[in-house]
Amino acid sequence: MSSHNPHDLSRRDFLKVVGSFVGSVMGLGLGLPLVSYFVSPALEVQGGDKWIPAGPLENYPIGQPTLFTFTLTKKHGWEKTSQSYGVYIIRHSDTDITVFSNVCTHLACRVRWHDDQEQFICPCHDAHFAESGEVLSGPAPRPLDQYEYKIEDGTLYIHLVEG
Amino acid sequence: MNEELKKKYWERYLRLKHKGVKFYPDVVYKDLVVSFALFLLLVGLAAFVGVKPEPPVDPNDTSYIPRPEWYFLFLFEFLKFIPGELEWVGATVIPGLAILVLLLLPFLDKNPHRHWSKRKVGTGVMTAIVLAMVGLTIRAVVTTPPQEEGPVALSLPEQIALGQELYSIHCAECHGPDGEGGEIQGVEGLEGVVLKPINSQDEMYTRSDQTLYNIIAYGQQDLGMPPFGRAYGGELGPAEIKAIVTFMRYTWDDRVELPAEAQGGGMPTLGPDEVPSYEEHVEPLVKRYCVSCHRPGKKNNNYLMTSYDEVMHSGDHAPVIIPGDPDNSILIQLIQRHELDFSRPMPPTKALPDDVVDIFVRWVAAGAPQTAAEADQIEAQQGGGAAPATPQP
Amino acid sequence: MTDKPSRMQALYAWLDERLGLSTIYKVVLDRKVPKVNWWYTLGSATLFLFTMQVITGIFLTVYYVPTPDHAYDSVNYIMQDVSFGWLVRGIHHWGASFMVLFVFLHMLRVFYMGAYKYPRELTWVIGVLLFVLTLGMGFTGYLLPWNQRAYWATTVGTQIAGTPPIIGPWITRILRGGEEISALTLSRFFSLHIWMIPALMALLIAVHLYLVIRIGISNPPSKDE
Repeated sequence: MSSHNPHDLSRRDFLKVVGSFVGSVMGLGLGLPLVSYFVSPALEVQGGDKWIPAGPLENYPIGQPTLFTFTLTKKHGWEKTSQSYGVYIIRHSDTDITVFSNVCTHLACRVRWHDDQEQFICPCHDAHFAESGEVLSGPAPRPLDQYEYKIEDGTLYIHLVEG
Repeated sequence: MNEELKKKYWERYLRLKHKGVKFYPDVVYKDLVVSFALFLLLVGLAAFVGVKPEPPVDPNDTSYIPRPEWYFLFLFEFLKFIPGELEWVGATVIPGLAILVLLLLPFLDKNPHRHWSKRKVGTGVMTAIVLAMVGLTIRAVVTTPPQEEGPVALSLPEQIALGQELYSIHCAECHGPDGEGGEIQGVEGLEGVVLKPINSQDEMYTRSDQTLYNIIAYGQQDLGMPPFGRAYGGELGPAEIKAIVTFMRYTWDDRVELPAEAQGGGMPTLGPDEVPSYEEHVEPLVKRYCVSCHRPGKKNNNYLMTSYDEVMHSGDHAPVIIPGDPDNSILIQLIQRHELDFSRPMPPTKALPDDVVDIFVRWVAAGAPQTAAEADQIEAQQGGGAAPATPQP
Repeated sequence: MTDKPSRMQALYAWLDERLGLSTIYKVVLDRKVPKVNWWYTLGSATLFLFTMQVITGIFLTVYYVPTPDHAYDSVNYIMQDVSFGWLVRGIHHWGASFMVLFVFLHMLRVFYMGAYKYPRELTWVIGVLLFVLTLGMGFTGYLLPWNQRAYWATTVGTQIAGTPPIIGPWITRILRGGEEISALTLSRFFSLHIWMIPALMALLIAVHLYLVIRIGISNPPSKDE
């Protein structure tokens, strides 16, 4: 304390440097793990690759889009939750089938088949899809998504790929 | 404090303040150093000591010894010295008064001096109280009996493994090692009852975890299944029942996928020339297929199998195992389905899989070593299967 | 490069004009204090611990669910599966113990140095209140993991609060939200632990710090004082 200005100044600077170093170490040391902590469940990919049995082929009349729904149980955190899926199955012949996801390609509302208009219509923003899945009108950016399928012993299986 | 003393105080304080330092950076620097040390300490404790795992709440577990957090221990211990009818004085009046005195301390303490040497009564009393608190805390820690705790299974693989073990002990006797059911044999009171499988798709798809939990806890007494939950007079706590349900769900329900780290867990594998040991290979098999009946309180000719010692030495017909001589060992004879005059083949309902029998035979043939290290030693001496070889080609 | 610092200065000047940053700097940081020793860091260490508890506590509520069905499993999930969950809960767990310890040591420091006397009586009173609230945080937080330790300690703790004649049983009932420890106990302890007590503490800490800055740090007493 006896020597004044020059000594004091450098001491002040030293303390500032140490202070900001220690502060940043603590900030980053806690901050980065906290970001990871908040984000981590989002990064967990629950990849699924399953063949879902959709019952006998006769359940689906030829030329008539028919809704088939199923649920899968998934583990989210400490909870098992059921996830619902819906698909429209259109049988053209005994071997030629189209399986549409009922999720609108616009903003993921569920589309419905309207018999009178012969169209899939989304109840949210009025997107219209043809029986072929093509966009007829409305804001949807692309045709309805399709699922792979296979037929074994007269039973239809839908290929669900996720993640 | 009168005005004159107040004035004197401020004069003195301002003089010291003038001679003093700047809050920033001098004091801030010290604060930062201490904070940083604390930060490192906390991170270190979190990383290397962690938080002690505890079993979940079980109001029916009367063996649990309740203890408060360490900073309330002194009060907890203090109550031991208060006679019953005055408990409320010790529990609320005395701590309440202590807080009140602390709150009003600046108004109760008329002594104008600040240095401790001029306030010997006050500092003396405080020191005595603090020492008493420390003493009581230490006494409380020393006199607390060790907590008897069951295993705490936290991760999913641990829970499945625990569930498997508990299933083998409590359920396999009637429901079979894999939940296949069938006719019950050798269980008092239920002899000959035929059980449907509990591992079927129907069973798994139509019973929720909660239902399975309730069935295990409460039993199905009309059907002869006793309650297993501690709340209903059984032996199992909630965490243990949950582990059994988890094991059943992840083993028998084809909708749930066993996590990779839990796969192959439990059942040992044995190389062609490897010498099996009790701890590594035999114990998991014994737990899975035998302990259900071969434990205290069951009809088993007093042959118990809950430890290496018991497996080797207990039983009315001991020794059941003759190291190095599988053919004359009762255990091997029975699991190879020979009928003896005092016992039918074991396990009574269903033969063990061949590879399981093989592990038992090779283990007894090698001298029934307990630890993996002993087994390795025997393996080294044999030089790759020259001496007492496996009975199979 | 050359106009960058001046832009920064301009930004600072703009903010200063509106926020009064340099006044804050002068009053809070650039003030003179008597020469003090390392014992005087106990108060700021406590403040640091409180800040750590607030940050880690807020992040724990991202996953923690205060119901008997989910509390244990969600804590277990934080410890087992969430990235750095062990760190966040570990710091919160150990920080709680250190917080109680440091509040107590800070209080002893002030007591032995006679710093609670004129003109800092009010600072002391608020400090004692903060001490009591810290113990309240410890007591309410202890139940939240919903494990055996928590359950039984709270059973005994709420029973102790119910020992006084006449009003005692009512205190126990109010603490538990009914006759027994139940979902109601858990959710009210949760509310006390994350909202009511911390809000009160933050308020009192603000007043406490205001008084410390307004009156100044006490000087280590000498014999002739």
